[in-house]
Amino acid sequence: MIEVQSLTFRYEVSERDALRDVNLTVPDGAFLGIIGPAGAGKTTLLHCMSGIIPHAFPGDFYGAVRVGGLDTADNRLTDLSRLVGTVFQDVDSQIISSVVEDEILYGLENFGVPHEEIGDRLTAALEQVGISSLRERTIASLSGGQRQKVAIASLVALRPQILVLDEPTGELDPFSSRQIFTLLRTLNREHGMTVVVVEQKIMLLSEFADRLAVLNDGEIVKEGPVRGVLSDIPLLERIGVNCPRAALFSSLLAEKTGTEVPVCVSAEEAVEAARRVMG
Amino acid sequence: MTDLFQYVPGNSPLHRMNPVTKIALTLSVCVAAFLTDNLFVLLALILFDLMIGVAAGAFRKALAIFRGLFKVSLFLFVLQALFVRRGNRLLWIVTDEGLSTAAGVVLRLLAVCLPLALVLTVTRVSDIAGALVQVLHVPYAYAFTLTTAIRFIPQFMEEMSGIMEAQTARGVEFDTKNIFKKLGLILPLCVPLLISSIRRTGATATAAEVRGFNLRTRASGYKKYGFGLVDLAAVLISAALITGAALIP
Ligand SMILES: Nc1ncnc2c1ncn2[C@@H]1O[C@H](COP(=O)(O)OP(=O)(O)O)[C@@H](O)[C@H]1O
Ligand SMILES: [Mg+2]
Repeated sequence: MIEVQSLTFRYEVSERDALRDVNLTVPDGAFLGIIGPAGAGKTTLLHCMSGIIPHAFPGDFYGAVRVGGLDTADNRLTDLSRLVGTVFQDVDSQIISSVVEDEILYGLENFGVPHEEIGDRLTAALEQVGISSLRERTIASLSGGQRQKVAIASLVALRPQILVLDEPTGELDPFSSRQIFTLLRTLNREHGMTVVVVEQKIMLLSEFADRLAVLNDGEIVKEGPVRGVLSDIPLLERIGVNCPRAALFSSLLAEKTGTEVPVCVSAEEAVEAARRVMG
Repeated sequence: MTDLFQYVPGNSPLHRMNPVTKIALTLSVCVAAFLTDNLFVLLALILFDLMIGVAAGAFRKALAIFRGLFKVSLFLFVLQALFVRRGNRLLWIVTDEGLSTAAGVVLRLLAVCLPLALVLTVTRVSDIAGALVQVLHVPYAYAFTLTTAIRFIPQFMEEMSGIMEAQTARGVEFDTKNIFKKLGLILPLCVPLLISSIRRTGATATAAEVRGFNLRTRASGYKKYGFGLVDLAAVLISAALITGAALIP
């Protein structure tokens, strides 16, 4: 479980708060999506959840963040990292090794996974992310999308209780993006991993997440079940988040026909809704 | 140029050799090159380097390294030839001793640089670090610094060429033949690049920390770096190189 209580954070060099009075609880086994315009504080919030803030970024930190009962301010980053795995937004600063295999081994070795087990974990992680063929390749020879998959695999291999991902599909094509989200769903449903993901592709995110939190200008302006959040189209438009077309469509449909239409999160649902309304 | 120091996967005896042995072999070539003043011994060392390149399946790369060093070598050669005044004058201010000193400097440079570059072609940086920690008991923090530095070379080059392309598109002529003009164009770009590199190094340190950097001990490594027959052979060759260079006048 992640508990964020009255969290306000300002980077040392900055004039304004990157996060302001944020309250958020992510229960065990949840799949939370975070959306918001650029500069809203999404990355900052994830860093607070993983303990990277306050440990690696100086600044003014008020309030409290607890992960799995540990207060992030009172515990070493190393200890917090056993609980929370982070996939960074900037893949190139996340990757430490120069060969794919070594990158995935790194965390496994450091966190003391028994050596008999490491081989299987490595192979499994490569397979799950769909990069078995890249195992021996050098990082420098990979595309941005492939690097992103390596970064994800290196954390999936560690099987943390909580996994936070910052725009993990930013460099991926639609097919691979869906593949990654399908993997996240499997980890979430079958292994009980808590997943928190910041994502620009709201349509895709809405299909997989249970709940959404909307950040704007350092504040959480809405949080709740996916459909509830997406039904507030005026809010999303006001803060400049591009709303999924299906949700826009269903609200337009409701407005124009004057009937009750449930919020749609996929094209299929939109077609279904249209069919029902048109009779 | 970018891939000159890049690891090339393979399965040659050199790839399989213990990284510590590879470093030892490289260093003995260097020691031998500095022990001798005999131009033929230096030539033999270069020949040996090339054979190593062939054995590593990287002959073309070895030649590329030669080409890369050509301009520097030429510069050094001319400089030495002009400034050494001892010996008998052959032509204008050039003396026979000047020529042989100049040849010695250049051959030595080639003999030394080639194995240093080749060792990175046949060894993953992480294996160098791993073996240093496991076999030589080097503290992991030092090994990590080494790997990070070497890992940044291609990244730095990549970003550099990206910026240069962008500037070229805006009409800056980087392909000027005038070396000073070229330096004047490139140097200002290095500053922001260095700053972004340093910032990225900070981020990489955090990335390492959240994946258990502080927990790593000598026993953490999954790969074991053992010694085999190739290593024995390499040690014998190293000894032979140094003795040869020391004994042949
Ligand atoms: N390292 C930093 N130092 C100073 N200010 C920062 C730093 N990182 C982010 N900020 C500022 O904090 C705010 C939130 O940034 P960020 O969390 O990266 O937003 P998002 O991920 O939603 O785009 C922005 O105004 C940004 O300029
Ligand atoms: Mg961000």
